Amino acid sequence: MTGRFFDWNGSAIPFREGETIAAALTGAGILHLGDDSVGSEARYFCGIGACQNCLVRVNGAIREACLTRAVAGLSVACVERRDHD
Amino acid sequence: MIEAQVLVIGAGPAGLAAAIEASRAGLAVTVVEQRETIGGAIYRQAVLGAPATYQPPAVRARWRRLVHDFAGCGITVRHGSVFLGIDGDGLAIVENRGTGHVEPVAAKAVIIAVGAIEKVLPRPGWNKAGVSTVGGLQIMMKETGRAPEGRILLAGSGPLLIAVAAQMARLGNAPVAVVEAGDPFRHPLTGGGLLAYPTLLAEALFYLKDVWLRGIPWLRATTVAGIEAGADGLVATLHDYTGTERRVAVDRIGLHDGIRPNDFGLSTPPGTSPVVVTAGDCREALGAVAAEADGRRAALSVIRLLQQREEVGTTAALRRERNAQGLLSELFAPVSARPLLSGLTDDTVLCRCENRTVGDLKALCGKEDPLSGREVKHNGRFAMGACQGRFCAENTARLMAELRQDAPAPSAVDLTGRRWPIRPVPIGALVCASDDTSKQE
Ligand SMILES: Cc1cc2nc3c(=O)[nH]c(=O)nc-3n(C[C@H](O)[C@@H](O)[C@H](O)COP(=O)(O)OP(=O)(O)OC[C@H]3O[C@@H](n4cnc5c(N)ncnc54)[C@H](O)[C@@H]3O)c2cc1C
Ligand code: FES
Repeated sequence: MTGRFFDWNGSAIPFREGETIAAALTGAGILHLGDDSVGSEARYFCGIGACQNCLVRVNGAIREACLTRAVAGLSVACVERRDHD
Repeated sequence: MIEAQVLVIGAGPAGLAAAIEASRAGLAVTVVEQRETIGGAIYRQAVLGAPATYQPPAVRARWRRLVHDFAGCGITVRHGSVFLGIDGDGLAIVENRGTGHVEPVAAKAVIIAVGAIEKVLPRPGWNKAGVSTVGGLQIMMKETGRAPEGRILLAGSGPLLIAVAAQMARLGNAPVAVVEAGDPFRHPLTGGGLLAYPTLLAEALFYLKDVWLRGIPWLRATTVAGIEAGADGLVATLHDYTGTERRVAVDRIGLHDGIRPNDFGLSTPPGTSPVVVTAGDCREALGAVAAEADGRRAALSVIRLLQQREEVGTTAALRRERNAQGLLSELFAPVSARPLLSGLTDDTVLCRCENRTVGDLKALCGKEDPLSGREVKHNGRFAMGACQGRFCAENTARLMAELRQDAPAPSAVDLTGRRWPIRPVPIGALVCASDDTSKQE
């Protein structure tokens, strides 16, 4: 491993330069991105920022995993975890 | 405050072509794009070192020309910026994802080219993790240079399914099957009509030959009737035209029932400034060739509108693509003409963002006086969630029409309305923006 990782709910997820958070999580076999506030399963769906099914917390801010580039050291978590609120 | 003569929203083929045309006419152009790369849905760029996705030579050539021309114009692109709408003062409102701030942009003209979205019909279980759109699977494959892993089922309708099956196979993981609601072989005459569109035909055969050569099952006149969680992964129930049911265990499922304009919330601002023109698949979903032609049309329209002349109408190039897409829709028309409702259990989720089901809609539609689309939104929370109705409004409207045949059939926009912001944005960011604007005044 070349040392490019971000944190996903406590696990280190490797990624390649330029990859989105969604691509890196999928590459790590993570398809279920937690359950959102109404109990729907968060997931990668449309890939273009339209469906909002892939919302995650990126350093506390709610972002689409399919639009947001992975950066080393980012803290990424399920939306349900409201530790930053 | 940012200023631009022409602000182009979206760096897909429509936006890029519009930007090139406007820039060549001497206008100062700024492009706003939510991603860190240009190219849009069809030309999603691969990360460094990843192999390029298999595409016909004509498609690759179009992209090379577009990039070359765009680079030659030296146009500023504001990446990581999400366009939210045009406010009452005629300012374009853009959320800068880098700073977390919302920035107003004063432009003389705005060309909106935010593309298409895929249609996905509701089926029990469509809302589960592990289910994506087929285009969603495809663009991640383009980005990463890797086929989705495990046992993949592609289902729905249209030529995109064949393209993605071939692209996956080339990257080493063919789908277990392609499930197609239509059956193009039943329409040989319509198929023959494609001879008038050699580029389109060549593209179709380019992908079909791979699907044939590799023996990927293309199950026509068949639908995915439901999806459940299985022991390991997902189980899809397939129904074919003879009524036979079959179950397939897979890891991931791609669904795609066509595309439609991503025109949600796009409203024309009051007043005459700025000039606003929509372009490409968000105006009419006709594919990449049309999107490029329409981008050029939009730029010419802006130039004319700025001179108080009228907008350029549909061009011959667009009409041609419209005819071609019409042929494809006929070829891929679903074989079963059963109402949508007949296959849906009451607990089938219709609106995933608000977790609203077919049963919830039935209860609303069972009232004595039929509810309007707007009332179904406000009383039932359909089309009210984070996707702003993009993936449920059309389906909900269709089911409302089936449930209340005594009432006028509602449309998707009856449910969603047309109001910016076109994407959810933290209230705090918007408040900051209006403070910034007042400081400028
Ligand atoms: C997932 C998907 C995959 C597709 N794959 C193919 C394919 O392989 N082959 C094919 O022929 N057609 C494909 N299409 C059809 C596609 O619509 C093309 O016809 C073509 O990309 C349309 O060009 P466009 O410029 O109109 O829109 P797009 O190419 O979709 O470009 C729109 C651009 O706007 C940006 N954008 C959207 N909303 C905002 C916003 N609010 N703020 C800022 N930027 C924004 C997007 O990030 C994107 O870059 C696909 C469509 C989808 C949805
Ligand atoms: S997958 Fe649809 S917004 Fe990210």
